[in-house]
Amino acid sequence: MTQEHQFYPAMIEAVQQTLENMVFMEVIEERGAPTEIPATDLTWSSMLINDPVQGEIRLAMPAGLLKKISGNVFGIDEEEVTTSQAYDILNELLNTIGGLFMTKLLPNQEYKIGLPTLEAGKLPEVDEHTVVWHLINSDEEPIKIYADGESLAALHQKVE
Amino acid sequence: MKRIIIADDSATARMFIKRCLQIVGLGDAEFVEAEDGKQALDAAKEQPADLLLTDLNMPVMDGQTLVKWVKASPKLCGMPIIVITSAGNPAKEAQLLELGAYRVLNKPVSPPIMMDALQDFLD
Repeated sequence: MTQEHQFYPAMIEAVQQTLENMVFMEVIEERGAPTEIPATDLTWSSMLINDPVQGEIRLAMPAGLLKKISGNVFGIDEEEVTTSQAYDILNELLNTIGGLFMTKLLPNQEYKIGLPTLEAGKLPEVDEHTVVWHLINSDEEPIKIYADGESLAALHQKVE
Repeated sequence: MKRIIIADDSATARMFIKRCLQIVGLGDAEFVEAEDGKQALDAAKEQPADLLLTDLNMPVMDGQTLVKWVKASPKLCGMPIIVITSAGNPAKEAQLLELGAYRVLNKPVSPPIMMDALQDFLD
């Protein structure tokens, strides 16, 4: 199997492994029409991939789900979770997912990734250089991952 | 009581590691948290620890430099170091092991992985 063939499943595996090991949550790929995250409930974080390909990975989920995850992690009621705790969890999840994805995608190569940054407002428009993964947990709450950038997405597009 | 230093610039990552250690049976250890390699080194100099777990990419002093400093110190060189990273690859892992790291683990670290890594330490 070539590196390119691993692109799509590599991300699914990275997300599943990360969420299962870190927050004990199982997710699967969503089939059919994807569940949208209402703009008022959207929370997302982004991280740059700097080398050997350039791009950006974004992790998005409903704010309510992030609070629930954070509450489980800290062992407190979700109402007690501070915004800072929740955002730190989101960034750490993205950092781990991004690193794992690159390790799976380019197993024998050195790569450089940036620091995760919390973002506000709408997600950027999806274009021909964006690959989107729609996942859901057992409560059917959506989790979305975006890989963006010409050279990063090219690894995926080569096999289309 | 075992003294364990956890170095990571993310408070959440430190908490994840701590929780993992608690699950594998080290809940009664004394955990010392450091936000970078320099803080971890200072904490070890103040009182050597039984184990040091460190992230690789950190501000001020990164994990690789921390490994070098610890292994160069006659007082600290016996302290086992586990490097936990989200930016690992075989070449980097080999480099860290060559420098004296005890184990290199890729994030996410689950309790079974931690248990396996700490087998000698827990015995």
